[in-house]
Amino acid sequence: MHQDNPQPRRRRRRLTKGAATISLAALMMAAVAGCSTDSDQVTLNFFQFKPEAVADFDRLIAGFEAENPGITVVQNHQPEADTALRTLLVKDKVPDVMTLNANGTFGELTEAGIFADMSANPALATVADASIKIVTDLGQFGDEISGVPFALAASSIIYNKTIFAEHDVEVPQTWDELIAAADTFQAAGITAFYGTLKEQWPVMPAFNNLGAALLPENFFDDLRAEGTDVDADSAVSFSADYREAAEKITKLFSYNQKGAASRDYNAGNKAFADGEAAMYLQGTFAIAPILANNPDLDLGTFPYPASNDPAENVLVTGVDVVLAAGRDTPHRAEVDKFIAYLMRPEHVAAYGEAQSTFSPLVDAEPSTNPYLAGLNDFVAQGRITGYIDHQIPASIPLQPLAQQLVLDGDTDAFLTDLDNEWRKVAARSTKR
Amino acid sequence: MATTSATRAPLVPPDARTRLTRRRRTGAGRISPTFYWMVIPAVVLFFVLHTVPVLTGMFFSMTNYAGYGSWDFTWFDNYVNLFKDDQVIKAYLFTFGFALVATVAVNVISLAVALGLNAKIKFQTGMRGIFFIPNILSILIVGYVFNYLFSNSLPEIAERLGITALSSSILANPDLAWVGIVILAVWQAAAFNIIIYLAGLQTIPGEVYEAASLDGAGPVRKFSSITFPLIAAFFTINMVLSLKNFLQVFDHIVALTDGGPGTSTQSVSLLIYRGGFQGGEYAYQTANAVIFLLVIVAISLFQLRVLQRRESSPS
Repeated sequence: MHQDNPQPRRRRRRLTKGAATISLAALMMAAVAGCSTDSDQVTLNFFQFKPEAVADFDRLIAGFEAENPGITVVQNHQPEADTALRTLLVKDKVPDVMTLNANGTFGELTEAGIFADMSANPALATVADASIKIVTDLGQFGDEISGVPFALAASSIIYNKTIFAEHDVEVPQTWDELIAAADTFQAAGITAFYGTLKEQWPVMPAFNNLGAALLPENFFDDLRAEGTDVDADSAVSFSADYREAAEKITKLFSYNQKGAASRDYNAGNKAFADGEAAMYLQGTFAIAPILANNPDLDLGTFPYPASNDPAENVLVTGVDVVLAAGRDTPHRAEVDKFIAYLMRPEHVAAYGEAQSTFSPLVDAEPSTNPYLAGLNDFVAQGRITGYIDHQIPASIPLQPLAQQLVLDGDTDAFLTDLDNEWRKVAARSTKR
Repeated sequence: MATTSATRAPLVPPDARTRLTRRRRTGAGRISPTFYWMVIPAVVLFFVLHTVPVLTGMFFSMTNYAGYGSWDFTWFDNYVNLFKDDQVIKAYLFTFGFALVATVAVNVISLAVALGLNAKIKFQTGMRGIFFIPNILSILIVGYVFNYLFSNSLPEIAERLGITALSSSILANPDLAWVGIVILAVWQAAAFNIIIYLAGLQTIPGEVYEAASLDGAGPVRKFSSITFPLIAAFFTINMVLSLKNFLQVFDHIVALTDGGPGTSTQSVSLLIYRGGFQGGEYAYQTANAVIFLLVIVAISLFQLRVLQRRESSPS
């Protein structure tokens, strides 16, 4: 056949040209997708972490868009928001504006300089200092303030007032009273605490509340100082200082209904709404879904009586929703406008009413929400403290370990594991 | 122009054809560009979408990168720390145990089912279709259905029958949760393995069985001396593929136990995902992923070598 030599080479060149064209086309497509902004319409990418609040934010967005015809806000929400956000960060796609839970991850991302500085945002001036401090305590980038607190949640015991009245049980003020109440219900054949142990996180409210009340002051600062030396014999450790709390957690969960290990959070909300248990170890965020199942349920809340001295009881609170913006958002002015709109007192109050949260605003009225009545005093007196699991690095498998603790009741293994994990993570992160 | 070589080849005189083969063997021959066009786009896509990310990951496994922000080189610290981490070791032990049990179970069951489906039974085609269905269903969706069965239906039935051992969900029992995962994994994976075995069984000509019958071989002897040796290649494929797939188990666990109760069913893939994305130790878990890649490659090569040697040697 053809014996001419140059042809193969020409073919090869054509091949490489083809490949180049393909990759060029891919690049151009990526570029077009990247800057799809229309001439005057600004679209804000709004990352919203709370699935139960999607409808509330849809309403707020509709109001905002009506006031600002040039701006469209697209609400994106997905399960496992922390993971989803990290994935977006890996791809360098920080959303324009976000609602996030002010937790350990938020602090970590703040320190990495992901979020825009909010110190100059006028909305921040209306927020109480205590709430801002909860956010900045998690971590700061320089002396910036990276988020505007929007809603506060508290962690407490939720109880069924009807069942309490039927059995003449008063709201417990001390640990002994709490156990006595649980025994009363158990003797009467009523589940004292409804357990939802199919998932791992529902142990966390009890872990946080008992720990916050029973751990020594500055425990986590001391633990961080101890670093790679943490073990059962070090000056501070979970083994030494968390033991009482761990034993009390196992005690509380021993009152769970039969088969608690195969019930999840949604099933628990439904069962508690149906009056299947006297108490429920969940945060105030569970109130809205419980009432969705049964709006007539007469429920109340009281702070964990962690010890036998009522004066020592504290209310664990956190910034449930914090508003933040991406540092490099091209629409900073529009984002500020949107945050200012969300932070108007009437909007914060309406959201608090709908989701049973407290307002972080400085001149907020005490919550009129009847379900939070048992907690108002603590908020007013400032007897509040943060969530302790926000102080524990996310790379420690805290939730699985806590689930294991309440399933097998092995306090020693739990505490040793926590110390071990702390030490290992400290060893891995000191090199940073 | 594109189809020339295929159509023209037979017209080439015999001597030219030998020249062609010789030249092709030395690599200097003219090969239709069609073949390159068939291969190169796939290679480019594979390289850009797969190999480049793998190499990037390997690069970052030697840093302390958290997935965002600044980073420094830590060289092999991540790898050293991996071997000191009992969580990682526990995850490897669980994954290997699970993969071994599931691989054996799935191959035994699918070979048995395939033998049945290959026999002249009634509704043969319909049955083959039914047995293939699990393969086209999403593992996550099937997983949530199984989750419901294990958590609600099975305990209910066991309670009615008075079997106390099963009256609470097996997924909630740290010692038994893995059984639930094996059941789901085997149920789902058997479909594909059955198809491969069926394909293998159909390559065996009927005459060899006739000859064996004349020699007086019973069903067991026929299986061990004819059927199994003749489908040995398919057995190898199934063993290697299923072990590899089961080592990477992830969806099953997410749908059934999410690694629980406690950390009792945490597989390596789940640990990588959790520690890397949820725990923020992106670089550290990338190092884990690199090790896991090497382990899987090594095991697959070893398995292939052993099984292929067995295949070629008369049994």
